[in-house]
Amino acid sequence: MSDNEDKVWPTGLTLREAEEVHSYLIDGTRVFGLIALLAHILVAYTTPWLG
Amino acid sequence: MFDYRRKALETLARLGPRYLPFADAASDEVPLSRLLRLSLFQVSVGMALVLLVGTLNCVMIVELKVPATLVAGMLALPLLFAPFRALIGFRSDTHRSALGWRRVPFIWKGTLLQWGGFAIMPMALLALSGLGYAAEAPRWLGLSSAALAFLLVGAGVHTVQTVGLALATDLVPDEDQPKVVGLMYVMLLLGMIVSALAFGALLETYSPGRLIQVIQGAAVVTLILNGAALWKQEPRDRGRAAATGPRPEFADAWRAFAARPGAIGLLVIIGLGTAGFGMADVLLEPYGGEALGLSVAQTTKLTAVLAAGGLVGFTMASRWLGRGTSAIGMAAFGAALGVPAFAGIIVSSFAAAPALFVAATLLAGFAGGLFGHGTLTAAMRAAPREQVGLALGAWGAVQATAAGLAVALGGVIRDAVAGLGGAVGPATPYLPVFGLEIVLLALALLAVQPLKKRETRHHGKDVYVR
Repeated sequence: MSDNEDKVWPTGLTLREAEEVHSYLIDGTRVFGLIALLAHILVAYTTPWLG
Repeated sequence: MFDYRRKALETLARLGPRYLPFADAASDEVPLSRLLRLSLFQVSVGMALVLLVGTLNCVMIVELKVPATLVAGMLALPLLFAPFRALIGFRSDTHRSALGWRRVPFIWKGTLLQWGGFAIMPMALLALSGLGYAAEAPRWLGLSSAALAFLLVGAGVHTVQTVGLALATDLVPDEDQPKVVGLMYVMLLLGMIVSALAFGALLETYSPGRLIQVIQGAAVVTLILNGAALWKQEPRDRGRAAATGPRPEFADAWRAFAARPGAIGLLVIIGLGTAGFGMADVLLEPYGGEALGLSVAQTTKLTAVLAAGGLVGFTMASRWLGRGTSAIGMAAFGAALGVPAFAGIIVSSFAAAPALFVAATLLAGFAGGLFGHGTLTAAMRAAPREQVGLALGAWGAVQATAAGLAVALGGVIRDAVAGLGGAVGPATPYLPVFGLEIVLLALALLAVQPLKKRETRHHGKDVYVR
């Protein structure tokens, strides 16, 4: 296992694995951001927020 | 300086695996505690179902003054995704991941969709109602955002349930599958009961602010439950991670699945039986009130009676299937018990016998439990290990579509008969619905026969021997 050249210290993940973990993080952030944006627009319309 | 750095890195590497969502090496024996934790995703699914079908249905009409047809249309939107369950299950079967996962990414994405839908839903509903501060909100914004919220929740629920069940199937050996099916059903029912009570208590004094708190609270609970459910459950598969070559096509996989003897027959049985058992779910309470003169407090307990019957059914089904009873045979037994149950419900209004009505409701719940358990277990066994997601997706697609259409059809029939005028009694609009349920269950029993015959030819073993 330790002879695998792809392993990136300190996580022990290979580059492909690390990129996949990263993609989950990016996708999650995008979904979260879009939902938050939409929620803010709706709150602005439906509550006294922003007058 | 260098030493500190190395020490920190070593500590990190040592602690790392404890804080990563990977399962330990795949073991033969998955402890019950871990299965219980996995079944938490069913609690979140049950919560979402209760919120959509029960709580919001009522809140939108009573508090938000949304027209009933629009409410029915919005609540039907999640149903549009039900047929895609087969595709989702297939995708998870063949998912390529460098981490060697195939279920966790889907459960996680489904969880995010469900969470996102609930996060925007309360404000979308307020915008849809156009009451109070929302009066100036444009009409299209309320309509489109509410539709989006329901679609997101629906897509999330379908994905989480399909792939979650597939993961549960992956984790246990074949002989333990009935226990897992029983556990999953019981947790779904418990989630529905607990969240129905909780939502009822929380929304007793309604205000727009309280609605936002409750639905967004449900969003956070979804995230927590599903996160806890999938943590360290799926082992990493290095062989799968290294797989190359073209991915199989859905059409090919479906053809192979459908060509298996009895596969389509099983889906027909699931559709007929689920529609048969599900059609009266929401009509039992008003029937008890109108036809038998029960009070609201009494009819509310009817749903509890039905659920209790279901719980007993799931428990007994797990026990019997664990002893080697055939899954198809038990589903047939459930459907056969359903016929006298609904006949009893019909008769109780003529005889004005509330006790008979309650007993018949209990029997219907029990029979539905046996049928649901038997068909899901059969579906799990209907495909080889590498097609479990597809098989469970097909089960879910048929089951969810049939249940949704049946509830809608039951309501339409009741209203149509009630609108004819000249009705003989308050029970008349309901009786055709219960009669249709008996017909559907009888058809399911007929459809079971060829499968049972093939089973006896195979020396009493299950049809779908891997």
